[in-house]
Amino acid sequence: MVIELVLQVTGRRQFLGGLLAASLVPKPSWSDAGSPVFLSAALKPNGSYVLCGIGNGLDIRFEVPLPARGHAAAAHPTRPTAVAFARRPGTFALVLDCVSGTRLATLNCPEGRHFYGHGAFSSDGNLLYTTENAFDAGRGVIGVWNARDGYARVAEWPSGGIGPHDVKRIPGSEVLVVANGGIDTHPDTGRTKLNIPTMNPNLSYIEDGNLIDVAEPPKELRKNSIRHISVDPLGNVAFGMQWQGDGMAPALVGQHHRGKPLHYMEAPEDAIRAMNGYVGSIAHSKDRQTIAVTSPRGGQVQTYDTVSNKLLHSTKIADVCGVAPSAEGFSVTSGTGELINITARQKFGRVTTGLAWDNHLVST
Amino acid sequence: MRRITLAFVLFLFPVAGLANDANLVIDNILRGHILPRFDALAVETQGLDDAAARDCAPTSPELRAAYGKAFDAWISASHLRFGPTELEDRAFGLAFWPDSRGATPRALAALIANEDLIGRSPNHYHEVSIAARGFYALEFLLYDKVLMTAGDASYHCALVQTIAADIASTSQAIWDDWRMDYAVTLKKTGPGEIYRSDTEVLQQMFKTLTTGLQFTSEARLGRPLGTFDRPRPNRSEARRSERSSRHVALNLMSLKDMAARLSSNDPDLKKELNMRFAAEQDKLEILNDPTFAGVANPQSRLKIEVLQQSIEAIRKTVRERLGPKLGVAAGFNALDGD
Repeated sequence: MVIELVLQVTGRRQFLGGLLAASLVPKPSWSDAGSPVFLSAALKPNGSYVLCGIGNGLDIRFEVPLPARGHAAAAHPTRPTAVAFARRPGTFALVLDCVSGTRLATLNCPEGRHFYGHGAFSSDGNLLYTTENAFDAGRGVIGVWNARDGYARVAEWPSGGIGPHDVKRIPGSEVLVVANGGIDTHPDTGRTKLNIPTMNPNLSYIEDGNLIDVAEPPKELRKNSIRHISVDPLGNVAFGMQWQGDGMAPALVGQHHRGKPLHYMEAPEDAIRAMNGYVGSIAHSKDRQTIAVTSPRGGQVQTYDTVSNKLLHSTKIADVCGVAPSAEGFSVTSGTGELINITARQKFGRVTTGLAWDNHLVST
Repeated sequence: MRRITLAFVLFLFPVAGLANDANLVIDNILRGHILPRFDALAVETQGLDDAAARDCAPTSPELRAAYGKAFDAWISASHLRFGPTELEDRAFGLAFWPDSRGATPRALAALIANEDLIGRSPNHYHEVSIAARGFYALEFLLYDKVLMTAGDASYHCALVQTIAADIASTSQAIWDDWRMDYAVTLKKTGPGEIYRSDTEVLQQMFKTLTTGLQFTSEARLGRPLGTFDRPRPNRSEARRSERSSRHVALNLMSLKDMAARLSSNDPDLKKELNMRFAAEQDKLEILNDPTFAGVANPQSRLKIEVLQQSIEAIRKTVRERLGPKLGVAAGFNALDGD
């Protein structure tokens, strides 16, 4: 099936190529890439890594090779272009044409920086923002790249904390919200966490390089690394955490609106325990009523009500991690190859592939 | 007050009755692995405190010997990072390393320059920055060319004694919690308890093994290795007291013991892990490089890289083969989350 789809895309490219040469059509859009609604990195059975486009029916619309393990991707707001990021502490990101599968540009971190694996575009798609570690100083930075000039690096901003992992743009604005996980690492020591006793995560809001707002957890929650974020159209931020303290995490999911304190979601103790101190991905539903979080370590997807702030439902799925909104609720992916549709309360559709889906499922 | 001995604690401690396999393994780890290590830590750190009180000179052979024995006891227990060690950041207060930004020498130099009164207050010393506490801070005062002679001699002496006393009281607090409370916590699993099941306890033990291997590979070996173009021998752990390789050896010994106890229900895996740990111990001994200075020489560097890779390979085996037996997810995302 994968091969067929790739051929299909290739055929389309040739067709488009001819038209483009004649300068008769507008620029390609996401529909030219086979209208994928999701992107996800994956590991193939032969050990190679790819970025896949996934359609509404959970079918694979395209796959393009990656040189090493990916993490998340950023979809260009209008053009069928995706930036696939290397997994931490990788130093490359590939800008891919999702119609042809060709590489449009390669982003290389400047000396002394590595990517964390997430990025976001400005509203017009002209700038790409990436989360990075300036590791010798142990500072988080946001790299700014010009998408209109071959993704040249044009600026670097402080991220407002240590270990900026995820970044999203607040819809209808150019304000970025950054999840500064708080954990200092250095490529010389792999993933060894260097500052757990003094870690201090936060959500930072950044506009044109200026830190305009910061929300920090209370002291007793400072060992709860704020790692992944989802933003709804009204600018409500949902965040997923990873507990670095001893014993059970006090909470693993929260909501925030700029200018207010962080708000933690409530769940019965057993439900929090089942997540094994770890949220891998987070997403809002399209109707903003629900937040879904995944834990591959706990093999759980949990949904929370954004109004009552309470747990709605837990679903067991082995090695689940990627999650993104779908028409009926959410689609989730797992390292065992599953693509599954869930509503806030149940699973209802499943496609099994031979691919190990990596951490994140990204909406185009 | 007469010290409560380990034997007495074990005597009070109920022997597992009609216990299941998991219960027996926990009992075995508790009696044979955990309690002896924290008992030894309390004893040896008291010895360090006493030695510093008798002679605070950095070059005192008695003080340095006591420091070495106490540090050995800590490294042998340092993978057991849960429960009593994590309360009030006690483990960090004993061992702040890696110190990638040089916070420890900076904090000590500031205390000495200001002759800060807290350096003379063993009972309040836990309030200072953790960078200025514990074994790694004391190493600077006893072995660092600059800091071993820095400042006023009487203040330096008091600071050595204060840090030694703080190490001893932190270690005693860990031991007290283990013997009076947490040993029972590990045995008393069920609804409403800290551990809901014996499986959760075994998973906690398993985590000490995998994170212990990771720390030795990535930090103890990874830091001095740096990159081929830029080896960093000056980043070796406790290089001033020439304990870098010794720490890897002590850690491997502890982890080998933990692995054997955790895999006791799978004789083949137990035997394989035992052999592979033993092979690493041999490699380290043959290397005979106390501070891993050899990272800067291509030939000896290769041997240290091989050691690191073999430890990573043990970690992989432990995660893929031992983990699933203990109910620890070993999936693509579960193993390598981010």
